[in-house]
Amino acid sequence: MSDNSVKKEEILWQVQILAAKGLASKEEVLSAYETGANTGADDAVTHPLGISHILYYIGGAIVFLGIVVLISQRWSTLSDLTKILVTLGSGIAAYITGVILNSQERLEKVSVAFHFIAALVLPLGLSVTFDLAGFEVGTPGLQSFISAILVATYLLSFWVYRTTLFVFFSVVWGTWLFFSLTDYLVGGRPNYDWEFIAYRVLFTGLSYGVLGYYFSTIRYRALTGFLLGFGVMYFLGAALVLGDWKPHQNVLWELLFPGLVFGVLFLSVYLRSKSFLTFGSIYLVAYISKITIEYFENSLGWPLSLVLIGLGLIAIGYLHLYLKKKYLS
Amino acid sequence: MRPPKNISLIVGLAIPILMILIVALSIYVPAIFSPQPQYNFLYVSGDDYWGGRQYEVQQGRLGKREVKHPDNYTPGVVRIFIHDVKTNESKEITFEEAQQLYLNSNSKSKDGWEVVYGSGGDGFFPFFYSGTNRHDIYLQGHNTSKKLNLQHDKTYYRQARFLGWLDE
Repeated sequence: MSDNSVKKEEILWQVQILAAKGLASKEEVLSAYETGANTGADDAVTHPLGISHILYYIGGAIVFLGIVVLISQRWSTLSDLTKILVTLGSGIAAYITGVILNSQERLEKVSVAFHFIAALVLPLGLSVTFDLAGFEVGTPGLQSFISAILVATYLLSFWVYRTTLFVFFSVVWGTWLFFSLTDYLVGGRPNYDWEFIAYRVLFTGLSYGVLGYYFSTIRYRALTGFLLGFGVMYFLGAALVLGDWKPHQNVLWELLFPGLVFGVLFLSVYLRSKSFLTFGSIYLVAYISKITIEYFENSLGWPLSLVLIGLGLIAIGYLHLYLKKKYLS
Repeated sequence: MRPPKNISLIVGLAIPILMILIVALSIYVPAIFSPQPQYNFLYVSGDDYWGGRQYEVQQGRLGKREVKHPDNYTPGVVRIFIHDVKTNESKEITFEEAQQLYLNSNSKSKDGWEVVYGSGGDGFFPFFYSGTNRHDIYLQGHNTSKKLNLQHDKTYYRQARFLGWLDE
């Protein structure tokens, strides 16, 4: 009997127990079944990356690089129309090709490569077009506009084609829009320095985490790993940075940080997220090292500080393994 | 009452939208309610770092000191301006005219405004911007800031430098 069938029997048995105790309703069990059934075995992104998929992405990236090199080498000799055709034209062509291939079951997976090319080339194409039209592309205002066009395009595409890849790029362009729009609002005003960046990264991480949780409950769960991983990395990274360094330290953030890290470690069990566990452990090590060097280096001396950091590392390593084995394996 | 099924989606999308709204409100709402600045100020442009600073306020009056420039160095043109805070326009005056003025060299004016440099972020990886200039100068106070239209070179070494408020 295979491992899968043993697990299935066990899970069905558990469902029976929960139903007998009245802890799970019929609707909940059916909802879980339907969510799984609707995930769709053919959803390309839910498959582990095979060699063909990797080649599609590498191929897409090489095509993008080719366009960038072509444009940069021949910028002065190409006419304006050619520049737009090579960049924006290529992006639109790749997008249309992706849509056509996606409609044919046999070629569905290849369409991912073309959508990948389109997603890389379209921002370049829009930037080149606006640049040639006389706009200053580097300004936050125009970057907000370009990213808003891309968000609208990809959300509309998702609404029509229901492909995970469109959700993924909607999130990426949405993040770009968030940063450029807030920069546009602030302009060059005083007092919006690195802390403003850190707060935006913090809230981006929080948003990614919540969206990652949402996607774990519906058919687009392929995005969960990406969103939870980057979410926790951004969130804890920004929280650690906001603590700053002696003598400019922010005591509130320094005191809050351990609570956030242990919250993330607790959530790693609840969400069964290895990225939460891994990043939670890494940031706990970083925090202990930071605090030791910041406050105890002079009083305890550097060697003793190193010993403490080392012991902290061992304890966190053990905690990481323990949680992983007990709850996530 | 059970929370809506898509509550996590709503919260996830609301976080950045709320932050955008908060940033916008924190910029524009205090600007509506802040009092108009009352005191004009004097500033100098062009007395750059390398050339040495020629003008200083001493006991309420503008003073000038001799600056010895390094060899092979051509100093920029040093100009003195009065900035009208109501019209946001500058008017150039001579050193002799400026000497007649009584100046309050405190960084903050009597009505709570301060001349400060902008933060002018260039973004960060992978979001880099141009067009926002860290050498822009603002009038800051009452939880808001107003960009000043000063006459100066927007470079690090030749920025405008605040000299004093005109206490009339």
